[in-house]
Amino acid sequence: MGERMKTSIVGLGQTEFSKNSGRSELKLATEAILAALEDAGLEVDDIDGLVRYTWDHTSEATIVNALGIKALKYYGETEFGGVNCCGAVAQASAAIEAGLASCVVFYRALNARSGVRFGRGERVLEEVDGGLVTRQPEPPGDIYSAPFGLLVPGQHHALYAQAYAGHYGLDTEAMTEMLGAIAVTQRGYANGNPRALLHDRTLSMEEYRAGRVISTPLRIYDYCLETDGAMAMVIVSRERARSLGAKAVDVLAAGQHIFPGSVPMYLYAADTHSLAPEAVGRELFGKAGLSASDIDLAMIYDATSMMVPIALEDFGLIGRGEAHGFFTSGGHGPGGTLPVNTHGGLLSEGYFHGLNTIAEGVRQLRGESHNQVSAETALVTLRGASSMVLGRA
Amino acid sequence: MTVIRPSDDYLDQPFWTHLAAGTLHLSSCEDCGKAHHPPSPICPHCRSFNTGWKPASGRATLKSFTEVRHPVHTLLEPAVPYVVTLVELEEGVRMVSGLPPGQEAELRVGMALECTVIRHDPRFALPYFLPAPAAGHPDTA
Ligand SMILES: [Zn+2]
Repeated sequence: MGERMKTSIVGLGQTEFSKNSGRSELKLATEAILAALEDAGLEVDDIDGLVRYTWDHTSEATIVNALGIKALKYYGETEFGGVNCCGAVAQASAAIEAGLASCVVFYRALNARSGVRFGRGERVLEEVDGGLVTRQPEPPGDIYSAPFGLLVPGQHHALYAQAYAGHYGLDTEAMTEMLGAIAVTQRGYANGNPRALLHDRTLSMEEYRAGRVISTPLRIYDYCLETDGAMAMVIVSRERARSLGAKAVDVLAAGQHIFPGSVPMYLYAADTHSLAPEAVGRELFGKAGLSASDIDLAMIYDATSMMVPIALEDFGLIGRGEAHGFFTSGGHGPGGTLPVNTHGGLLSEGYFHGLNTIAEGVRQLRGESHNQVSAETALVTLRGASSMVLGRA
Repeated sequence: MTVIRPSDDYLDQPFWTHLAAGTLHLSSCEDCGKAHHPPSPICPHCRSFNTGWKPASGRATLKSFTEVRHPVHTLLEPAVPYVVTLVELEEGVRMVSGLPPGQEAELRVGMALECTVIRHDPRFALPYFLPAPAAGHPDTA
């Protein structure tokens, strides 16, 4: 218990999610930051720290200039574009606990749908004399994998899915049942969530089965939705959160992991049916003074549906190899034993690089979700690469 | 048929020149003897800088595979469907590979594979892996 983090998320802000925002990433970012401050009851001049992903195009200095932030004392970046969503919160919390800053904003703005899309090969390939060439030193799309046509994260996820199927002896039909149960249930949650890009589009199991196969065994409905928009969240010390009277949600534990082969894309990791170190859940829950059985709901970074069963097993929320039974019996659905991705997830709310995954955990613990469940604690994770436990204040 | 090439500046590196000469070589440690991939100037097992190149046995196990049906680049439209594999070499290293263009095979995670190097042009060849001929499965020979 003594190791618990001593910070809280006190404000959330976001723009609408859309296929074409019609405005710059800077404008999106500042809209989201101002909305997060308003939600927290704080002012621009309260901000003295910023954290962001290295892949974000809008730098800290650009934000300082645009908003006229008087004195930024701390800024930090975490690698990649979404892998480290919880790592960014860990970094903000560490800065606050070390006295480097007192009010840190984590922001992300992207025109990922109308701009260069993460799921397209153009991001990593060049056309030369009518052929295709890679110059990438690291996956996805690097010189050792692109020549075989392995180019985008969605294809790597298909490899994780088939590795899982092979490891546990699940046939094509069993994989369809499991992944379909995830996609269909999350769409149901999205249908109840007005923020979701697919709020108005229902998905039945029959429609899921008929969905176009992108890369076996994954279908179109197993993939997240690239999205334009911006999100921001405000992090302060728990002490300050209590004095603000804001609807705080506490960060109980947060951390990051890289191990040999896990970056890039787990191609060279020891296992591909499991994507986190064996002790990841025990360590994280231990820091929060909890155990896996104390977790009431899970927000899993679902760039594809396959991330969900792997994460629940890796963190010990369900047993190894139990995912098929858990999902096909609705354990993750409304009224299930462990509601998962109650906003619809990246699959059906939108691919907002983990900030919306965190935000739904915060909303649930504030009692403000559109699909509210009874919960005191939430796990948020991206396949163990970064993870955290949130607690009701 | 579009096969994606590493840019020319990479093709002078030993991994690629050995393949162009017809064999798969692995970056290997001269001190502890273990191989590693992708190539690295330091052995991740014993941290020796004394690394070199050794021919691979070509024997491997299938860790995973996927049939890519959706082309993520317009120039790949004629290439789909194609099969990407993740293979574990006998030397203990992982590689991304695939089935040679146009070739079909029944794949199963855990099955034995063997390497076949196919040259696409004088400077550029790739190591593909096909099901190994095994006793009791004469039709795969
Ligand atoms: Zn060595």
